[in-house]
Amino acid sequence: MSTSPFSAPPEDAGIPGSTLAGPFPVGEYAAALRAKLRSLTRVQLVGELVNLRPSRARVYFELRDADGAIPCAVWLKDWEAMLAGDAAAPAEGMQVVVAGGCDYYPGSATSSPGFSFAVTDLRLAGEGDLLARIDRLRKQLDAEGLLDPQKRLYQPVLPRTIGVITGESGKARDDILAALARRGWAGRLVWGFAPVQDRHAAPAIVRALSDLCAVGRAEVVIVARGGGSLADLLCFCDETLCRTVALLGTPVIASVGHHTDRTLLDDVAAVSCSTPTHAAEAAVGVDCERARADQANAAARLRHHAERAVRPRGEQAAVAGRLRDHARQAVLARARLLATLSRAPATHLDRQRTRLHQELREVRAASTRRVASERRRTREYALALRRATDMSIADCRRRRPRELEQLALALAGHDPQRTLERGYVLVGTTDGEPLLTASRAREADEVKLRFADGTIPAKIDRT
Amino acid sequence: MSASEQPQTDPPPTYEQAAARVEEIIRRLDSGEASLNETLDLVKEGKGLIEVCARELAAVGDALEELKLDELVGRLEREAPPT
Repeated sequence: MSTSPFSAPPEDAGIPGSTLAGPFPVGEYAAALRAKLRSLTRVQLVGELVNLRPSRARVYFELRDADGAIPCAVWLKDWEAMLAGDAAAPAEGMQVVVAGGCDYYPGSATSSPGFSFAVTDLRLAGEGDLLARIDRLRKQLDAEGLLDPQKRLYQPVLPRTIGVITGESGKARDDILAALARRGWAGRLVWGFAPVQDRHAAPAIVRALSDLCAVGRAEVVIVARGGGSLADLLCFCDETLCRTVALLGTPVIASVGHHTDRTLLDDVAAVSCSTPTHAAEAAVGVDCERARADQANAAARLRHHAERAVRPRGEQAAVAGRLRDHARQAVLARARLLATLSRAPATHLDRQRTRLHQELREVRAASTRRVASERRRTREYALALRRATDMSIADCRRRRPRELEQLALALAGHDPQRTLERGYVLVGTTDGEPLLTASRAREADEVKLRFADGTIPAKIDRT
Repeated sequence: MSASEQPQTDPPPTYEQAAARVEEIIRRLDSGEASLNETLDLVKEGKGLIEVCARELAAVGDALEELKLDELVGRLEREAPPT
């Protein structure tokens, strides 16, 4: 034990019955391990560069082939020197040759230990086979026209159903939900959970895509996965998956890896987004809350225009109403005037009637007075007349017989009968009218001859 | 042939078609060049389109419905008549 690099362990500190040496302090052992690894022969390795992760001081990556992998680390200043010497920068998927040796970071009380192959030099071993294969497939799909069909599909800005293919436990799921919530979208979301980074991933994604479109009736499908190495994202360069997506009738939004990663799915999909959040925003093309506000505003504007359009009719109605009011006022005024005028004759009549009654009373009074007066005068006249009559009667009684006698004598002197009795004949017309001239007698055909004792007809002889 | 050229068999306008047409209608109305009859026609058309938009927005505004594809497929397979 005198040759052991470790300090002597205390008595009876180990596992009873164990034949192994120790126990030794782990820090001493870790330092010894580092020394041992560093003493191994420095070599060159060749493999595919994957999972490239630059940090502040070192650049980490893995060197991988079909049989195994070695984690590698290179100081940042050495990495930059290597980039300066090469025409093309080493990138994911490239075949590279690295020179260096094994190293071990023993860790500390607060940091974890780690093994790495400390790279001191690097050169590209030609274009990486994986990238070259992917590029050949991309060119083939392009030549077959399969990079365009998805981009020609109609994508609704406001889908009712969205399908999402992603890992069930991935962060992409939460990002998509949060982005859809910010959009104010709350439709039907169908999750097609599938592995997204192993050899089973591509067939599962193909199956989920078909089912989402056929069964889930998704109007748009998001395929989402977070960042990773090219090897992790290799399933999204699967030829069957890419051909399926290219010929799908539903638009696919790809969100695979970070913005620096570019898979074949990004090329064939309708839309390629850098993050699941962007994919969700691309799936719902409108901010639903804002759209609701916009529609409400549009409805208000339409209402405004509709009201403005019919306002002239309203104004006409208002004018008509005002005219009606004016007319009503005018009619009322006229009616009041007519009522006043109609009352005027009655008033006038009343006044006239009153006056007439007054005059009538005056007339009656006057007539009464007059009648009394006339009656008195009449009585006086009657009295006078009676006295005069009495006097006249007495006088007549004395004179009348003698006057009558004289009158009878005078009258008898003029009686034609006395003349006829003396032999005269009175010639007259048949009507008894006397014919006093011979000319008139000649004009008459027939005449009557009146004698004292009778009348006889006679004819006029004109010869 | 565009959808607007197919009488009777026209599918209802999509949300974006309806929203775009509403914007067009309002621009026309705002221009003040529309006659009374055109204004009334445009207002009537616009109201119909806004109802379409409101219906579409309501369809994605009530509550998020989350389904798992596997469950959906399983349910449909159970509901399918035996062959």
